[in-house]
Amino acid sequence: MGRPSQPVSHRRRFLIGLALAALLGVGLGAALLAGARTAERRERAERRAVITLSALTAVVDRASGGGAKEAPPATPATEGGMGLGAEIAAAEQGRTPAPADTRADAVRKAVAGFAAVHPEVAAIRVVELADITLAASTAPADQGAARAAPRRLERAEKPLYDLGEKLRAAVEANRQGAEGAARAPELGFTRQPDGVLSLAAPVERGGEVTGMVQMETRAKAEPASFAWLPFLAAWLAPVISLLLLALVFGERRWWLAAAAVLLLGIDLWAYGHYALGVLRAERRESARAVAEQIAGESKKAAALLADLGVPAAGQPLAPVLWDVDLFRQSRGLIAANGAPDEGKLGEIAGADAGRMTRSVAVLAVFSLALLAFVGLGWAARTGAALAEHRAAYAYTLPATIGMLILVFFPFFYGIVLSFTNANIYNTDKSVVETWTGLANYVDIISDFHVAKRTADGLVWNYHNFYYTLLFTIAWTVSNVAIGVTLGLTLALILNLKGFALRPLYRVLLILPWAMPSYITSLIFKGMFHQQFGVINQMIQIAGGHPVAWFNQPFTSFLAVLTTNGWLSFSFMMVISLGALQSIPADLYEAARVDGASRWRQFRSITLPSLKPALVPAIILSVIWTFNQFIVIYLVSAGEPGGATEILITQSYKLAFEQYRYGYAAAYSTIIFLILLAYGTWQSRVTGATEGIG
Amino acid sequence: MKSHVLRGILGALALLLVFPGLALAQKEIVVWHGYRGGEKAAFEKVIDTFNRANAGKIKVTTLAVPYDAFADKITAAVPRGKGPDVFIFAQDRLGGWVAAGNTVEPLDFFLNPAIKGRYLKATLDAMTYQGTTYGLPLNFKVITLIYNRKLVPVPPKTTAELQAMARKLTNAPAGKFGLAYWYSDFYYHAALMNGFGGGVFAGRKPTVNSPQNVASLDYLLKWINQGFLPAEPSTALITSLFNEGKAAMVFSGPWFLGEVAKGVDYGLAPLPTISEAGNKPMRPWITVEGVYVAAPSKSKDAAFELLKYLTDVPAARVLALEGRQTPANKGVYADPQVANDPILKAFRQQVDVAVPMPNLPEMSMVWSPVTTAMNVVVKKAASPKAALDQAQKEVVERIASLLKK
Repeated sequence: MGRPSQPVSHRRRFLIGLALAALLGVGLGAALLAGARTAERRERAERRAVITLSALTAVVDRASGGGAKEAPPATPATEGGMGLGAEIAAAEQGRTPAPADTRADAVRKAVAGFAAVHPEVAAIRVVELADITLAASTAPADQGAARAAPRRLERAEKPLYDLGEKLRAAVEANRQGAEGAARAPELGFTRQPDGVLSLAAPVERGGEVTGMVQMETRAKAEPASFAWLPFLAAWLAPVISLLLLALVFGERRWWLAAAAVLLLGIDLWAYGHYALGVLRAERRESARAVAEQIAGESKKAAALLADLGVPAAGQPLAPVLWDVDLFRQSRGLIAANGAPDEGKLGEIAGADAGRMTRSVAVLAVFSLALLAFVGLGWAARTGAALAEHRAAYAYTLPATIGMLILVFFPFFYGIVLSFTNANIYNTDKSVVETWTGLANYVDIISDFHVAKRTADGLVWNYHNFYYTLLFTIAWTVSNVAIGVTLGLTLALILNLKGFALRPLYRVLLILPWAMPSYITSLIFKGMFHQQFGVINQMIQIAGGHPVAWFNQPFTSFLAVLTTNGWLSFSFMMVISLGALQSIPADLYEAARVDGASRWRQFRSITLPSLKPALVPAIILSVIWTFNQFIVIYLVSAGEPGGATEILITQSYKLAFEQYRYGYAAAYSTIIFLILLAYGTWQSRVTGATEGIG
Repeated sequence: MKSHVLRGILGALALLLVFPGLALAQKEIVVWHGYRGGEKAAFEKVIDTFNRANAGKIKVTTLAVPYDAFADKITAAVPRGKGPDVFIFAQDRLGGWVAAGNTVEPLDFFLNPAIKGRYLKATLDAMTYQGTTYGLPLNFKVITLIYNRKLVPVPPKTTAELQAMARKLTNAPAGKFGLAYWYSDFYYHAALMNGFGGGVFAGRKPTVNSPQNVASLDYLLKWINQGFLPAEPSTALITSLFNEGKAAMVFSGPWFLGEVAKGVDYGLAPLPTISEAGNKPMRPWITVEGVYVAAPSKSKDAAFELLKYLTDVPAARVLALEGRQTPANKGVYADPQVANDPILKAFRQQVDVAVPMPNLPEMSMVWSPVTTAMNVVVKKAASPKAALDQAQKEVVERIASLLKK
């Protein structure tokens, strides 16, 4: 290794290390803080817009006079108050139906009036689903005789109609959905890059969704959230402090290290504290703004309703419930008197503090690692190695990239998937949204219901992981034992000198291996058929009763064992035969001269010479058999009731019959860990990978 | 050499300048389908006719996708915008696609009562999920009674007749059976299940162990105990029995007809009514091949034109007579040539009592537990009630484990 001739400066290394580590920690922290601030500001804007939308829906609904009411509202009251739908539905009760024409006029007037007092709203559209019409619109493009509402929606407005249909389907699905099931969002919401919010809510009449009201806000520039000054201060303060301390410490390495770690820790802690304060102020501002919005909107709505001449009696507005999420469930952050709920705010602040502590801890770990990497000189050594073996790294680069994309990415994706609840219902969601931590593993490993005792004796739970694992082990051991015994015996016979037609037998015995194994499996499946299979017909010729092979776990096991035995002995035979032929004949000759018996020759010459070839073959064969998908899947298909399922077929069924991708990924990862442990242990015990010893 | 290329490019550019419409107005539509053989030839003929009628406006190209990879290809490619503009698939995945999002385009905006009225009702119902229509029905598949004319001169109208006839025609030691169908498979059993008034879902709640479903399995056991059904049925076994004249009657669908050997003289008739259930008809599930517009498609209007064309009478006529498919279009059955076709007529009759197979995404959670229950019952390892209770428990668990987040 070519070392620079000048002595290493610890001072310089720790200064650079601390500068980089603080940049990493504070930089990431500042970016996270900016993200959280933007998110909070956006959420504030969204909540305010949703409140406006709620007010708009309430006004439109009252103006339209509602329809005949047969069924009571189906939306259940939830904790924290009624949903918006229920509030509107409740308000509708006891109203007289209005004729359709006057209703449409009233809606248009209400929408126009609402738009007039809301300069921040760019456009309001009301869509009637039954006849695909635009019932009202304040969008500039929809003015003038040709395009004014009411009219049928145009082709370009199909997304609007589809959104309405989607909201209708969501409301209906949520009403008839199963207990505890994920709810579908009942409000439409999109944010365009220029800050325009587009929101939509279903309009209900008589307990059914009949239309949709959509509202667009005006574009609004977002203030920058990244605070440069605190970031620069938090970055440079520890570096300058270390610079000053270095004057005192000189080149004392461990003093420098301790000072750098301490400075970094204090710095990150202080920045976290500052960030928490910023975030708390933002939350408070949100609560205040939302309360103010509710007060303002309810006043505007009441005034507008009075203007329109809608009688207020019997249908009071419930503005406290206007602060809802996309599922139209109250967020519960606003108390009944319209002020922010202090208790809830405290809870949120507590959660923020917890999250902040975790983020600071994670950032600290990463920046300390970077500090150590640079400060203790590892970075310099890595750089030197990379520079020195430049050519070697360059040559392996293409292969490295290929491996990364083709092998490691799918592998790690599978492992990441195993920590999620990914399934057919949430393929559109990101990994973060479906993250469940170790839940899948805990589910699989902590389920010990392997068997239960009943009146008829022990009843196995065939879907239990441990049952399947035991069965897989039994399956592997018996198969490999059969394969090795049969293969070795046949190889010894074929290796006999002067054995007539030897090449012919060799070819015939290799055939099972040469045939595609799924074809062999299907043939065996047919041979084991209860009425028409050749095996049962032979049993009947011999005077026995036909066996229903796949009705009992044991006979089903025998069937798959036979199939796989047929498929696997050829491989063992070929390996043994090759190894046998490479044993020098003079070894046997010398043994004979020394008077060794045949058995002695076999034990002392043949077996030891076979070992280097057989042991890797057995290791491979164990792994193949452990994952022998085709035979189980095609021949027994796990019958009866999953009793002959092995881990890999079980995992396949979890993924592609039950569509529990995350759970199946966890299952596969466990299979991988088992095989990894086995392989490591096996090669350590036998030294197989060390070649002929 | 170079100048040739250059001249070619210049020529092409000139052509584009002269006929800008050629380059701009023609929409390219890619269709994925799973057809082979005669079905594929007929389908491509229809597409050819469409292309000729719309020359210069729409150009449709087709791609046959191997059936077993088809569903996964759609799930993987379409939501990411890498798929076709139009694809053809059965309705059983529809709910899953809608739940996953950005796969199938809702069509209600384009539809009017005239278009909706073109189809057999059950087939359009199959294309509807949560009140929204997502595809137009192209063909349907339904099981019906297929019988060997030599052994069964007049097909049975009721299950009482069927059982009497089947018992008479059975000679188990000689491997001859009066009736053969894949009774241990849930799809085939559904005809009895629906006939007894059972089903898999009420709304969105699974009802696997409903009394009607139990009754239908009890009834199946009665059939099995009479010995006129072969043990361990499978499609391969049933086909070979029927072709060798060892199965007099079979319950199966259009896919079976292609497997029937040349010399066998067979006829089709509607499934019998169930004498033991107040003479209500057996009601098989129908699977409907729908044509869907892919949600990320760039030419949805052109795609919908194609959908309309494919499901209209002239196209349906070609698909029926040349592709030997059973169109979902009602009008085509008024065509004399179609009306006189005994096979098409039989399937058309069967639809009137058929039930669309559920297209809820939860359906995929039902198959495996119910198949296990069916196997257990058929092997008499448990009573229908116990087996279906167990299946119901598993279905509920599986759905719950999927819905929890």
